[in-house]
Amino acid sequence: MTAPDTAVSIGSMSMKNPVMIASGIFGYGDEFRGLAEYGELGALVLKTVTRQPREGNPPGHRTVETPAGMLNAIGLENVGLEAFVRDKLPAALEYGTNIVASIAGEAVEEFAECARALDGTGVAAIEINISCPNVKKGGMAFGVDAGASAEVAAAVRAATGKPIIAKLTPNVTDIAGVAVACERAGADAVSLVNTFSAMAIDVESRRPLLAAGSGGLSGPAIRPAAVYRVYQVAQAVEVPVIGMGVIWNASDALEFIIAGASAVAVGTALYADPAAGNRVLNGIRDYLESHSIARLSDIVGSVEL
Amino acid sequence: MSQAQRRAEPGAGGSAGRGPFRLRAEVVESEALPAVHHRVVLRAPEIAACAQPGQFVHIWCHPPAEIDRPPCDALLRRPYSISRLRPPDGVEILLRVRGVGGRLLAAKTVGDALDVIGPLGNGFRTWPDIGVAVVVAGGIGLAPVPALIARLAASGARVVLLAGAETDEKIPFRVERPRAGRATLPEVAALGAEVTFVSESVEGILITEVVALRLDELPEEGSAMFACGPRAMLKRLAEVASGHIPLQVSLEERMACGLGACRSCVVPVRCDNGTAYKTVCRDGPVFDAAEIDWERLTP
Ligand SMILES: Cc1cc2nc3c(=O)[nH]c(=O)nc-3n(C[C@H](O)[C@H](O)[C@H](O)COP(=O)(O)OP(=O)(O)OC[C@H]3O[C@@H](n4cnc5c(N)ncnc54)[C@H](O)[C@@H]3O)c2cc1C
Ligand SMILES: Cc1cc2nc3c(=O)[nH]c(=O)nc-3n(C[C@H](O)[C@H](O)[C@H](O)COP(=O)(O)O)c2cc1C
Ligand code: FES
Repeated sequence: MTAPDTAVSIGSMSMKNPVMIASGIFGYGDEFRGLAEYGELGALVLKTVTRQPREGNPPGHRTVETPAGMLNAIGLENVGLEAFVRDKLPAALEYGTNIVASIAGEAVEEFAECARALDGTGVAAIEINISCPNVKKGGMAFGVDAGASAEVAAAVRAATGKPIIAKLTPNVTDIAGVAVACERAGADAVSLVNTFSAMAIDVESRRPLLAAGSGGLSGPAIRPAAVYRVYQVAQAVEVPVIGMGVIWNASDALEFIIAGASAVAVGTALYADPAAGNRVLNGIRDYLESHSIARLSDIVGSVEL
Repeated sequence: MSQAQRRAEPGAGGSAGRGPFRLRAEVVESEALPAVHHRVVLRAPEIAACAQPGQFVHIWCHPPAEIDRPPCDALLRRPYSISRLRPPDGVEILLRVRGVGGRLLAAKTVGDALDVIGPLGNGFRTWPDIGVAVVVAGGIGLAPVPALIARLAASGARVVLLAGAETDEKIPFRVERPRAGRATLPEVAALGAEVTFVSESVEGILITEVVALRLDELPEEGSAMFACGPRAMLKRLAEVASGHIPLQVSLEERMACGLGACRSCVVPVRCDNGTAYKTVCRDGPVFDAAEIDWERLTP
């Protein structure tokens, strides 16, 4: 049997396989270099950048481990758009696979400005982060409102010819509604989930463990909740869905794919296993071969109810 | 197949561009120490070949072969200082068992393997003409001290260790209290240091007070201070040392990646226009005390 076809397209971005790295997990790609063959993956999404540098949340614990998961409240610390394009992007492009920039802002115009500035660069696509639970202004404030999400997507659409991916928050009542609004506004794909708003408390001090009070939950704890949201969204939109929510092994990834995801992103698992993405990819290939499935796309959304 | 089973691959971080490496290291020694402490020696040639005092390793606490299964606890790796090198290729860590990660590590037996990334971060800077090196350690902060003392002693410095803890049980070494004279830690003294140990419960004094009292004895030129321990101790030391003696401190913070990518482990540092953040895992864990914004550092 010839090797199964794992290619996926997100607008004009063609990926050789469906495995991506999720935004924020490995910064701009520098620090993990050498710990796995990241160039083998379909795409690498870099840490969300904003127009101006952000120092992020105040010092104190920005992450805490919780049962089968972790909370983070980094607060979108980033070097800012200019330094990103000048200092970070060139090295990331050397990975030799699709590099996706993730952008956020406090106002619609800020998203558009970032997108415009990235239009002339080598990024293969732009992810709009309207789902960060860890900043007071912007971020999730857009993502919890279908109208505001559509406004951001439309403004970014007008600012760039690159494929755009709207990254959705699960912290809403109707995630499919937000997804549809983004699709109508011109998003080429939607990705989900960002983290679930969450809190952990130290019972001795009666204070939250995170310095910021609350944060976002990722990890195995959220996977079934994420799979279900991917399923709901995939039922509602035509554009490709990128699924995530602790994909740790190939079976986890296949769950998302069968629920309706065309591609998947590996996040928190990278902290345990820097090569988790490669391991997931190899496992997906093995699965396709052992089940005699010629094309990955044959099983996307194949869940039978 | 897990990458952990592959040969070590060099990454980008670490000092001098060497490492970090990820490897499957065999446990060659595992020993319960007094109270809740434990010694683990790993065979980790790539790490042993380039580790500097003060650097750390990031350990997956479950069996390497289980890295493809998400665990319900100890999901993240655990950072531990390299306590000392055990030639030819051994790396020793000393741990205080605090939670689930520590318990998993303390349960390892000789022949088990661990998936380890290291050496990570920037260690203590030493230089050839240090005349007197004062090493101050509190509690489990003694863990990285043996490698540092060995390095300083080898460079010809006179090494003075001032160590303290709430009780004798709070350190990973045996305390010896001769009938006359000060309490000492024979194992550490053997590495080439003049050791003073005080426990709050027995001697009734904090090590920072001992440091303050003995600072005047030091020659003005060529002295340097190195410290690892609780933040309150380090903060007090920074006050005592400021303007008198250059001080380097080793800090801890919660980590996720351990590589400098996720920005979990930041501490506030002084800069021209206010404060900036640096990562404990990559910029640290050892910092110049003068660089830290102690007012904004959480206790
Ligand atoms: C650079 C560095 C070097 C260290 N060196 C040593 C050493 O040589 N010996 C030693 O005994 N301990 C050392 N520690 C502390 C050690 O990492 C923690 O004791 C350990 O992570 C606790 O894990 P646990 O699962 O046993 O405890 P739990 O309390 O169950 O851990 C819960 C979570 O909090 C994190 N955590 C808890 N305490 C700390 C801490 N002090 N620092 C960072 N993260 C923490 C854990 O990693 C885990 O994610 C070091 C920490 C750092 C940052
Ligand atoms: C430490 C950390 C930082 C993150 N930073 C970002 C970010 O900057 N932008 C973003 O869109 N998502 C960010 N995320 C969310 C992840 O991209 C992902 O959506 C989420 O963690 C769920 O996937 P996982 O469970 O596989 O990690 C971050 C997650 C973590 C754990
Ligand atoms: S732990 Fe990720 S930056 Fe330090």
